[in-house]
Amino acid sequence: MSTVSTEKDTVSTLSDSIQKTPRPLQVAKRLEKFKTTIFTQMSNLAIKHGAINLGQGFPNFDGPEFVKEAAIQAIKDGKNQYARGYGVQELNNAIAERFKKDTGLAVDPEKEVTVTSGCTEAIAATILGLINPGDEVILFAPFYDSYEATLSMAGANVKCVTLRPPNFAVPINELKSAISKNTRAVLINTPHNPTGKMFTREEMNAIASICIENDVLVFTDEVYDKLAFEMDHISMASLPGMFERTVTMNSLGKTFSLTGWKIGWAIAPPHLTWGVRQAHAFLTFATSTPMQWATSVALRAPDSYYEELKRDYMKKKAILVEGLEAVGFKVFPSSGTYFVVVDHTPFGLENDIAFCEYLIEKVGVVAIPTSVFYLNPEDGKNLVRFTFCKDEETLKAAVKRMKEKLMRK
Amino acid sequence: MEEKLSTVAKSFTSSPIQELSHLAQRCSAINLAEGFPDFPAPAHIKTAAVSAINSDFNQYRHVQGLCDHLAIMAKKMHGLDVNPLTDIAICCGQTEAFAAAVFAIIDRGDEVVLFDPSYETYEGCITMAGGIPVFVALDPPHWTLDPNKLLQSVTRRTKAIVLNSPQNPTGKVFSKDELETIAGVCRTWNCLAITDEVYEHITFENEKHISLASFSGMQERTIITSSLSKTFSVTGWRVGWAIAPAFIASAIRNIHVKITDSAPAPFQEAALTALRSPSEYFESLRRDYESKRDYIVKLLAGIGFKIEFKPQGSIFLFAEIPESCLLSDVEYVKELIKQAGVVAVPGRGFFHTNLSMKKISQEDFSYQERYIRFAFCKSDTTLAAAAQKLGKLSDATGRLKLHHSDT
Repeated sequence: MSTVSTEKDTVSTLSDSIQKTPRPLQVAKRLEKFKTTIFTQMSNLAIKHGAINLGQGFPNFDGPEFVKEAAIQAIKDGKNQYARGYGVQELNNAIAERFKKDTGLAVDPEKEVTVTSGCTEAIAATILGLINPGDEVILFAPFYDSYEATLSMAGANVKCVTLRPPNFAVPINELKSAISKNTRAVLINTPHNPTGKMFTREEMNAIASICIENDVLVFTDEVYDKLAFEMDHISMASLPGMFERTVTMNSLGKTFSLTGWKIGWAIAPPHLTWGVRQAHAFLTFATSTPMQWATSVALRAPDSYYEELKRDYMKKKAILVEGLEAVGFKVFPSSGTYFVVVDHTPFGLENDIAFCEYLIEKVGVVAIPTSVFYLNPEDGKNLVRFTFCKDEETLKAAVKRMKEKLMRK
Repeated sequence: MEEKLSTVAKSFTSSPIQELSHLAQRCSAINLAEGFPDFPAPAHIKTAAVSAINSDFNQYRHVQGLCDHLAIMAKKMHGLDVNPLTDIAICCGQTEAFAAAVFAIIDRGDEVVLFDPSYETYEGCITMAGGIPVFVALDPPHWTLDPNKLLQSVTRRTKAIVLNSPQNPTGKVFSKDELETIAGVCRTWNCLAITDEVYEHITFENEKHISLASFSGMQERTIITSSLSKTFSVTGWRVGWAIAPAFIASAIRNIHVKITDSAPAPFQEAALTALRSPSEYFESLRRDYESKRDYIVKLLAGIGFKIEFKPQGSIFLFAEIPESCLLSDVEYVKELIKQAGVVAVPGRGFFHTNLSMKKISQEDFSYQERYIRFAFCKSDTTLAAAAQKLGKLSDATGRLKLHHSDT
């Protein structure tokens, strides 16, 4: 790949170089989409005002002891050097076993599973490995902010199909119109951040037929699959005809409250896995070794772990939702994830960012403005996102503050 | 469905280093190929990591203390004034720091100068970002930089120069003069520089690692990348960093957040302990690696390898196949695995010199198939075992005799 442009001068002299006018040092054009994230901005504001943070999506409680112990043991056992690029074998096996249990699909851990530094990297590697500049990729808005940024890094054209309240149902006809001969892939996040929506079987089947008909790939981000409360989680890969064209991505962080460990994975048929692995090799080369060993232990947790996880989160959700409704928000139904979106307009602020700033400064609670999750920020101006991945005391304290300082009299 | 791969992904082949590792594993060969230690990581650092996990440092994290300490070290080692609040991005290993740096500064069509031979990953990264790698061959046997070759390779489209010193695979430490030459080119042509300094603490004899950023006019245009991995024998922890002027560091941080979001949290915490290691730690690191270097140089020279250039730093030795042997590097390594039970890396994968340069200069580039890279970041037991296995295949004069017509 070491080609040299044909217009290049093969011999240049020192005098040529002196005559050249220096141009100002510039960062790459692709960085237009890469500003500091809204999460960091809100977190900084929150610290300044001593606000209770229901914005950023990570727990303020820790992961389970048995997983932490496994990591500690791995460090002590000397598992501290480079792992195999595509994953420690034990972990690839555990991922395949878990996937079989969840979906019924048998995958080859050696050829169809790739371990990455979190699902974020799985997404980056999938997009950089499988998308060409100029390819069209369809996203469902609102969407997690890394998707658009990574797609622009790959030079893709992003098209958006918007999910609207109150049900955030998939407008299938809009999806059909959005597909063109340049469409390479559709990206689906289910259970969905920020709305908590879970794509129904009907919706998944409809999307699947469109993709098969138009020979389009599907990339799924399923990190909240174990936080499915109101219905069963469905993996696109398990639908007829879909495994061969789907990259299924997931991670340790949300299921095991260890978001800082950065263990994720991509499951895909060999020809797609190959592209993911190529990009992954140049993005991070290998993933944290001791954490991989610990994850292989985590994934073999008994059913009781997952049942308890769901129970705990449903209790937390109840505290938050009851509180938000009592305060006067219009709360939209959230079937999964640990997020809920609400309409803030009853409180009279002009848009979501203004409302969130008000909430931090005057009420002492943090939420995330959703406009950043849309291609057109106007689409999100009425909505803000709260998270309930916090301990019960924190949730109750936040609700209390909102009842005292925000509730419409 | 192959057409579903991106153009860039289709152009990549799997890592030859990893493939040989698999062959070596199948033959239970002693692995002197991959650059990671087979001895334990330092106890005080492992303890710090365990403590971090137990203290619940397990969520997404930015550890400012780590940046503070890196700034202190940059001042101490290179006299650089680095603002720990704005000039540093913590990433998942130097690999990710480099990838994010490339994505931060390289637009489609930008040229990037690299020195040949070089570590295989840089080129892939640059290509993925749409950049064009341009290789400048270092001259064997001492891998010296010819300033004219560098000047001939720089154009209006050159956005950056990549410098890895101490260098993988040769073990070269770029001299002050060479660094000044590179700095001069960067200033004159208004290019950026990205450095890979992962072996910064592994230099031998009186060699001192000097960062390109410390030269006049360079700090404002240099992105330094490095990591914990080689200095602290924790290549599997994935903690690295980029140090750059604020506007570039900010861009790198923003990209890193989109690629991986955060480096593993407990290991960032442990990095604080690592970087505070007393100077004795770094001195003994250097001493230990120097004696391993001496051991392997003696061993390989003794069995007939041509070692005209002793490594000045890094954990690698780039040795030339004995003149009497007509095998290519790949064939030699295969025989070494199968017959001697020792694995190393054929050197050709590190050479990329442009075909156009080859045609024009009429230089002889056949040396590119005559080198083999040995890693000596292995325990004394491993090195001794390698010596024993190679010894078994030596003839009366002590030369390695592989069972293949090589006379």
